[in-house]
Amino acid sequence: MKQILLITDGCSNVGESPVSAAALAFAEGITVNVAGVIDEGAIGEQGAVEIAEIAKAGGGMSRIVTTHQLSHTVQMMTRQTVAGTIRHAVNQELKQLFGLDSVGALPPPKRAEVVRVMDELEETSELRVALLIDASASMKPKLHAVEDAVRDLALSLQSRNGRSAVAVFHFPGDFGHLPCVLDCGWTTEAGKLHSMFTRIRMKGTTPTGPALLQVVDFIRETCGIIKSELLEPPHIERGDNEEVRSDYVV
Amino acid sequence: MTTSSEKVQLPPGTLVKGKWNGKKYRLERLLGIGANGQVYLASLGRSVCALKFSDEAAELQGEANVLASLDHTGKKRGRVPFLLDVDDFTLDGRDLPFYAMRYVPGTPVSAYLKRHGSQWMGVVGYRLLERLAELHEAGWVFSDIKTDNVLVHDYGAVELVDFGGATAAGRSVRQFTEIYDRGYWSAGSRTADPAYDWFAFAMLWLHALDGKRLLQLTRALLPQNRHPGELMKLVRSHPRLRTMEGWMEKAFRGGFQDTREALLEWRQAIRSSERTAKSSESHVPGWMAGLLAGSVVLCAAVAAVWFLQ
Ligand SMILES: Nc1ncnc2c1ncn2[C@@H]1O[C@H](COP(=O)(O)OP(=O)(O)OP(=O)(O)O)[C@@H](O)[C@H]1O
Ligand SMILES: [Mg+2]
Repeated sequence: MKQILLITDGCSNVGESPVSAAALAFAEGITVNVAGVIDEGAIGEQGAVEIAEIAKAGGGMSRIVTTHQLSHTVQMMTRQTVAGTIRHAVNQELKQLFGLDSVGALPPPKRAEVVRVMDELEETSELRVALLIDASASMKPKLHAVEDAVRDLALSLQSRNGRSAVAVFHFPGDFGHLPCVLDCGWTTEAGKLHSMFTRIRMKGTTPTGPALLQVVDFIRETCGIIKSELLEPPHIERGDNEEVRSDYVV
Repeated sequence: MTTSSEKVQLPPGTLVKGKWNGKKYRLERLLGIGANGQVYLASLGRSVCALKFSDEAAELQGEANVLASLDHTGKKRGRVPFLLDVDDFTLDGRDLPFYAMRYVPGTPVSAYLKRHGSQWMGVVGYRLLERLAELHEAGWVFSDIKTDNVLVHDYGAVELVDFGGATAAGRSVRQFTEIYDRGYWSAGSRTADPAYDWFAFAMLWLHALDGKRLLQLTRALLPQNRHPGELMKLVRSHPRLRTMEGWMEKAFRGGFQDTREALLEWRQAIRSSERTAKSSESHVPGWMAGLLAGSVVLCAAVAAVWFLQ
């Protein structure tokens, strides 16, 4: 499973639309979540709309939170997205095989069985989360909270049974020709992520769209073809009698 | 963010007939609203139980699975089952999943201690550790210990509610409350093990007895400075918690062999803290000693005056 988590505080102002970039990511099997961070005041209306749109196009979710809530929100969004991706795959399988809408349409004993398998997948499936951090000037006072959230997420991922890794990018890039910079490639160690933003130089522009596209390229290059291994759909077989039987290969 | 609290509540008197199992419940009143669902007190014939409703069928079922598995191991100990039924309620053509569980009377632990006094910490803690020991021995970690999830009634009887976060040992903790989380305090991983619960258990007392200073501390500390050492400073400067210093320190460090040992040491620590409390009471308070000394001086003066005359 692949996710991009965008942490920003406002509107993009250069390059491609971040909404269509997120849609492209989703088409390639990557879910895009967005955390909008605010200090005290509210996020601009335009920014709030864009944040919601990016997540919608990226098949993910968005939350607008204060710096204090950021760690917990990032961790929850990641976890819920994993659960959501699995639920989606299982529901699709149920629909194809039995014409059922969702897990909820199964009789409770079968539901119990299917959910047990879903929980198993949630814990053991491979997971990669690329964090894309807006480091434009207005984000400067919030970067400590962002760093803390990244460490916290790494801690949560470390404790999973399935292989999990994070990578960290920030944008805009240093030299102008790249929209974003890789701060840390795929890693499983939270300890590695100390003071990763020391070399950030604040710039004015916010090329959210181009940065998203660059991260998608990175994931494609480092994780092979994504779509086919997005999630091995669990095999649900029809039993010999009418009763719905489930049989899983995990 | 949509939460259950924004969703419509079912009025008292609502008849809930299970779609699959056909049991008929009557809703008496709302017991609580959480992030994931609504819990009602309900009657079934002449017995009472609690019903939890949620739109998230898979999540609710996951919780019911945990309860079923706990009941399975609990049976051997002669425990009555906690999970009573899993079903759907058809409301306006839509199926609303729910499960029925035992009704747990009582108040959250912090409210209980406020009303009845902090001397109840010993019993309540003892009962809670006993319950946790059972869970741990069955291979589960509760993980989301917090004051709302620990209900106390009748002379310190304790029951846990909200098993949504219960995690099999060795798996990643799936639900926690930040200030109770050992990861948040840089004191260990988020992989479920008994020590994860010991940490949250220790936080429970800090939160219940010294909540104000704890919240101040979390607000003031920079993330990189969050450390159990800071928590121990609070413990040492609190009149009641100070007497449990050794135990608390060991809980934060995850230093017990197992939860039975934690239970045993809890009992010893409580006993000896009660003894020190008693012996300090038997001492003559300072003001009384002062009065006594004063009256001795006065006496001597009077005697001297009388003698010299
Ligand atoms: N079996 C029970 N008996 C009595 N009261 C209960 C019971 N189960 C839950 N409650 C009450 O309902 C409240 C909400 O229930 P619960 O914690 O299960 O919901 P939740 O959606 O998981 O909440 P949370 O936000 O804590 O995750 C509890 O805090 C408690 O007060
Ligand atoms: Mg709860």
